[in-house]
Amino acid sequence: MNQRIRRFAVLLIVLYVILFVQLNFIQVGKKSTLDADSRNTRQTVRDYNDPRGDITTSDGVVIATSVRNEAGSEFDWQRTYPEGDLYSAITGYFTFGYGATQIEKVQNDVLAGRTIEQQIKGFGSLFSGQDTTGTVKTTIDADIQQAAKAALGNREGSVVVIEPSTGAVKAMWSWPSYDTNLVAVQDNELAGDVLNYLGEIPGKPLLANAYQERYMPGSTFKVITTAAALDDGLIAKESTWTDENEFLPPQTTDPIQNYGYKICGGDLPEVFRRSCNTPFARTAIELGPEKMVAAADRFGVGQAIPFDLPRPASSQFGDVDYFKQNLPLLGIGGFGQGNTQMVPLHMAMVAASIAHGGVMMKPFVIGATYDHAGGVLQRTAPTVWKTPMTPSTASLLTELMVGVVNEGTAKCCMSLANGVQAAAKTGTAQLNAAGEPERSHAWIIAFAPAEAPKYAIVVMLKGTTAEISEGTGGTLAGPVAKKVLDVALAQ
Amino acid sequence: MTNTYSDIAARRRSTEFRLVLMAGVITAGAYTLASLGQNSVIPPRILPFLAALLLVLMSAHIGVRWLAQGADSTLLPVATLLNGIGYVMIARLSERLAGLQTTWTFVGVAAFIGVLFVIQRVNDLARYKWTFFFFGAGLLLLPMVPGLGFSSGGARIWVSIGPINFQPGEFAKVALALFFAGYLAENRELIAAGTWKVGRFYLPEPRHLLPLLAAWGFSVVVMVGQKDLGSSLLFFTLFIVMVWVATEKTSFLVIGLGLFATGATAAYFMFDHVQTRVAIWLDPWSRYQGKGYQIAQAMYALGSGGVGGTGLGLGDPTRIPEAKNDFIFAAIGEELGLFGSTAILIAFLLMIGAGLRTAMRTTRPFEKLLAVGLTTILGMQAFIIIGGVIRVVPLTGITLPFVSYGGSSLVANYVLLALLIRVSDSSARRLGEIADSATFGERFATRLAQRRVKKHPEELEAMS
Repeated sequence: MNQRIRRFAVLLIVLYVILFVQLNFIQVGKKSTLDADSRNTRQTVRDYNDPRGDITTSDGVVIATSVRNEAGSEFDWQRTYPEGDLYSAITGYFTFGYGATQIEKVQNDVLAGRTIEQQIKGFGSLFSGQDTTGTVKTTIDADIQQAAKAALGNREGSVVVIEPSTGAVKAMWSWPSYDTNLVAVQDNELAGDVLNYLGEIPGKPLLANAYQERYMPGSTFKVITTAAALDDGLIAKESTWTDENEFLPPQTTDPIQNYGYKICGGDLPEVFRRSCNTPFARTAIELGPEKMVAAADRFGVGQAIPFDLPRPASSQFGDVDYFKQNLPLLGIGGFGQGNTQMVPLHMAMVAASIAHGGVMMKPFVIGATYDHAGGVLQRTAPTVWKTPMTPSTASLLTELMVGVVNEGTAKCCMSLANGVQAAAKTGTAQLNAAGEPERSHAWIIAFAPAEAPKYAIVVMLKGTTAEISEGTGGTLAGPVAKKVLDVALAQ
Repeated sequence: MTNTYSDIAARRRSTEFRLVLMAGVITAGAYTLASLGQNSVIPPRILPFLAALLLVLMSAHIGVRWLAQGADSTLLPVATLLNGIGYVMIARLSERLAGLQTTWTFVGVAAFIGVLFVIQRVNDLARYKWTFFFFGAGLLLLPMVPGLGFSSGGARIWVSIGPINFQPGEFAKVALALFFAGYLAENRELIAAGTWKVGRFYLPEPRHLLPLLAAWGFSVVVMVGQKDLGSSLLFFTLFIVMVWVATEKTSFLVIGLGLFATGATAAYFMFDHVQTRVAIWLDPWSRYQGKGYQIAQAMYALGSGGVGGTGLGLGDPTRIPEAKNDFIFAAIGEELGLFGSTAILIAFLLMIGAGLRTAMRTTRPFEKLLAVGLTTILGMQAFIIIGGVIRVVPLTGITLPFVSYGGSSLVANYVLLALLIRVSDSSARRLGEIADSATFGERFATRLAQRRVKKHPEELEAMS
């Protein structure tokens, strides 16, 4: 019998060798295929199950945090956003099956404690298991953000507040928004349904409209035309334009009209504060396509905004060849109509560059990142992006914009609390063709205090309702800007 | 005991002692690491755990030292290592089950020592072969008794008596191995001889073969009827291997394999659940939302383990359904990697080696066949379930001996281990490696006889 037993032993060894070979095949050979299988949720679960650091405002309000789930849940941690929809465009969401957006995405490594620096610092805690997650501190000021939301109310639009000297974004709010907590749910299917719904409804709540969308800017664009012409020397403060209600540009029989077909003219401060259209159309055409396009380029129009959140939109004006063929459109573009499109954040940066002596800073919302012990990992240093105008042009534009507030289109609505002087330019972008019902976006760009600017702001109300379409930038956007600036300056 | 402690026995026992200690150190280390990995804390119950671990290991070792000092020195340490690794995995998956598994381990070791104590002359068991058959058959039928048996996971193999649920089939395997060994040891030559001429062929006399076939057929039919495919497969293999080894006739092996092929094909066409098993074996992803999910998850788990594993407590084995039970091998492969899963394979090979070595050393057919049978149960059961988990063979639900959660399986395997160790010890005695001393029962009988002689010396004289 021993011979059979020996053969049986060999047989069993062969069977076990087969097991060993198959184990190698699975655990080594097919490892990467298995790991990459879309139905394999292990890696995602591991990420999703790791602790994750907080995102806070500059004044320490926690706007994204992870709380431990009760024992027995499918996941150990739940990502929560204590402020609901207020910061969704800034924090973004962190989901199990649908990835992450905004800061949750771009600062994922810091939040999860995976940067090399954190790994090295955290090496000692490898066994004690202390978490190595990092914290992201934004530049957002909780009070200003709250004020922006309150002031905008349920009208569609965006509010962005920037610190002109640094480019730090102090508030960025768009409506419609959405509660991030509805997406960061454990039920993956529910998250998918919510995202689908949010993606389909009008107003694009999933997009951060304040910086991921662009809109016709209307007369707020006149600051760019003015800056271009002043720097060129084509016009000066003393330049005057004759009274007229329309102007016939070359290459067409269709005249350019003033807003409401009003007769408008005078010196630069007057046409600027009254926001006449024809003087700026004439100026743009006189400057010519090359110089207008170059000026827009100096302001960063046509380039992606160097923002530290994902997928910023770029503003657009037009190119030289196009305008050479269409001089009337260059004129219309000179006062922010036609094909001109500006990102709200970009308009805030334009205002900020005037406030900052003609220097445009790179906007940023991530102030600093910290490791688990509170040590600074990275602090954003303010950097210059563009120098679109000379300091003297900037100071003259400030003067012109103060005129808008004191005697012009923003007179109604921009007298700030405690007598603080604001500088502003309004815009009412007409979207309807002649003969159609009125439809327009209402804009205002402003900064205050005018003599030593601390905040620059853009308010943009989308022309989606009759209320907005029948109003103007001054009467509608102005009060919003005032409320926000009052809160900001009260600090 | 008054046994002379021979050098060989002393060496074996001190080797076993060191190996058992190593198994203990590995288990304790793994337990601590799993807790650190999972919760970043030293396990809060580390002291009671160490005490229980030490108690289990030392009582088992002392049991062998006391009752089977000549036995092979690797069987017990490898079994306790597998038990320990399985325990760590179970504790990592569910604290509640870990508590129960602790109890089962104690019961298992108690049964181990109990069997070593009660069965000191293993050859005596051959006499009770039919008792073992009816005992085993009764155990197999128990789940079919209304009010007593119940189904779980599709197979009707559970029995509920009062608060205790158990799988009598686990014990039936051992009983049936005892029956086969006993029957074949007695009849193997008659079966092998083939004195019944049918046409050109010489077949074994029906009266020798039929009882065997009847017993085997009955058991297989019952297991298939209970939808316990794993046990049916194991039992089939056990029977064929034992008949083959006993008769030394390769024709039995060929006939057996032919029968297996026929039976398996028939089962495939007769039972939906068999077709499902084959389908998910070939492509678990084709039924990812259904029965294939488990195997697909096991694949993901093994893949994510890779060579080195995720580390104990750091993987995600809770995603595998039945990770504590049939799929515990995938959980081990995930957290301990290819190294860990291979170590489990090697551990089973070591036990197979020790078991078959025992079978070859002993000279008595019954002991030989018993050792082969018990080793087949251990080695084939591990192969069937590991192969099922890693898609070498279709998955048939069955426990991984010593590793999986479950009281019946653990206790039955400790009984099996005790029998193997008993065979090993008894062959050592016969080979003269250690002095063969009287067992407890024999000394008791002697003392009774001596007392009788003292009282009635005339009887002794009458006898002579």
